[in-house]
Amino acid sequence: MKKRLILGIGNLDRQDDGVAWHILVALAAQLKQQVPASPEEDFEEANPQLLFVLQLTPDLAEMIAGYDAVCFVDAHTSEIQAELQKLELEPKYQRSPFTHHLTPETCLALSESLYHSVPQSILVSVKGHRFDFSSQLSPQTAKLAVEATNVILNWVTVNKDS
Amino acid sequence: MVAQKITIEPVTRIEGHAKITIRMNDQGKVDHAYLHINEFRGFEKFCEGRMVFEMPLITPRICGICPVSHHLASAKAGDEVLGCPPPRPASLLRELMHMGQIIQSHGMHFFELAGPDLLLGWDADPATRNVIGLLQANPEVALKAVNLRKYGQEIIHTVGGRRIHPNFAVPGGVNKALKAEERESILAGLDEAIATTQLGIQIMKDWASKNMEDINKFAVLKSGYLGLVTPDTGLELYDGQVRLIDQNGTQLEKFDGRDYLDYIAEHVESWSYLKFPYYKKMGWPKGVYRVGPLGRLNVAEKISTPLANAELKNYKALNGGKPVEPTLYFHYARLIETLFAAERVRELLNEPDILSTDILNTHHDFKGVGVGVIEAPRGTLWHQYWAKENGQLERVNLIVATGNNNWAMCEAVDSVAKTYISGPQVTEGMLNRVEAAVRAHDPCLSCSTHAVGQMPMEVEILDPEGHLIQTIVR
Repeated sequence: MKKRLILGIGNLDRQDDGVAWHILVALAAQLKQQVPASPEEDFEEANPQLLFVLQLTPDLAEMIAGYDAVCFVDAHTSEIQAELQKLELEPKYQRSPFTHHLTPETCLALSESLYHSVPQSILVSVKGHRFDFSSQLSPQTAKLAVEATNVILNWVTVNKDS
Repeated sequence: MVAQKITIEPVTRIEGHAKITIRMNDQGKVDHAYLHINEFRGFEKFCEGRMVFEMPLITPRICGICPVSHHLASAKAGDEVLGCPPPRPASLLRELMHMGQIIQSHGMHFFELAGPDLLLGWDADPATRNVIGLLQANPEVALKAVNLRKYGQEIIHTVGGRRIHPNFAVPGGVNKALKAEERESILAGLDEAIATTQLGIQIMKDWASKNMEDINKFAVLKSGYLGLVTPDTGLELYDGQVRLIDQNGTQLEKFDGRDYLDYIAEHVESWSYLKFPYYKKMGWPKGVYRVGPLGRLNVAEKISTPLANAELKNYKALNGGKPVEPTLYFHYARLIETLFAAERVRELLNEPDILSTDILNTHHDFKGVGVGVIEAPRGTLWHQYWAKENGQLERVNLIVATGNNNWAMCEAVDSVAKTYISGPQVTEGMLNRVEAAVRAHDPCLSCSTHAVGQMPMEVEILDPEGHLIQTIVR
């Protein structure tokens, strides 16, 4: 069986920016996995492995390199037209003035360069409609989260076998 | 030239973390460059109504790179609000975690961000002018850098139980003691961490010796300097008094961090959401100061650990004992601090109390207000809370490290733009230098959101009439 990782990114305290957490919670329920008591705790070890982080950091590259397939989950801004998008990802290093902005493609580029491994990867993102200081999703993004969950469940099934 | 007021329209709450606007004059030179921070700071309001014991878990979500700093500052503020000073072993453990944070943050910054600037050059091909290019050019150095960051992260994980958002420091102490085998595992990696840091210092010195012209014209700013110090004016990163010196190195103030509002005020500009802290008595803008590695090594007269102290003497000699002013020396100062942090890890682990289980003071003597101050990797960080008797917060004030350096970053961007940019078309190499001016400060720009499509930085070039000539997104 392929080793799969579903990596959600976002901040629960910034409303729709935290949509990935809500999607992971829904996935855990569908996959019969335990949901941690808080986003600061880890999901149980399983395949697919669920992981939620505030933001992508370079040290994640080593972990990502150990998987066969990775699904990144995030919110997106109104810069992107589609309400829900699913993208195939390739390693690509994106420059940033700051350490604080790492893209999934850059993580893959680091995995490739440092650990010589690039899992098959996709990004599933939903449009965030509000990014205020709140823990509640906007109604529009909450609805999109349900759709995204189904897309990812399908990905899990398609990527099951080696 | 028609004067134009630059304002930010908050169309959405996230427009990108930062924007640089470069206004050209009629001669094709830079008239002024502005660094606008677009991220709206609302965490203080959001925290009102929360319980004080929740704050060490909430405030780390301000940032995923420096959560430990917020976590510890928050716990320290909570210690005071609830009147429960931590036992000494708990303070040692908190400081140990903090040193892990310094090592991972500073290590990552130098090797993965500044490294490409210094080792590959500002004018190098953009396709390789990054850490991947560094890996290809110098794989041994790149892997050592990765291991240095990992080491710092492992200290945080071992001490606190989690790498990113530790649930460790609480008002009154910490909730996890250190086991003997954990102590040994941290000690085991220490020599390599020190060796890698010293390698970084040598890289910096070698680069500096070949690039003195750039160092001496790249954002060399006059300012005050602020940071925590020990009672004998040594470098202090966890707990100490605040020392403020002027541009000549003369002490202006030495005060208890709790009293910061008596000394520091915040100036507001219409073109940035980030305020500009300054020294009240000197007013704005004379009272501006710099924090972070450059600021701290300028206010400190010594370092308690031998290797770092030897490097501090070299650093002080750069300007004959007076404050070191060139912005590019932030990188050198950052490495000296990393060396101190690694040596301090050894000192802490050799303390008999480090394995104690006396780690939590549960006796409360409610005070209602509390300040936690700490030296985050980027500079002095303040958390202040006002609470009702039941522990519910009525008011929160944060002065984040990068906020203290807001003036410095803006001034550095303006200075570098004026030094290196000419003509209406801005080249990659010119922009790389402007970016390096921001990057030297290792800013943490309230990056609590990271949605796809959100630009980390946007640069706009305007003509004398304020019309847009060129937009570059990075």
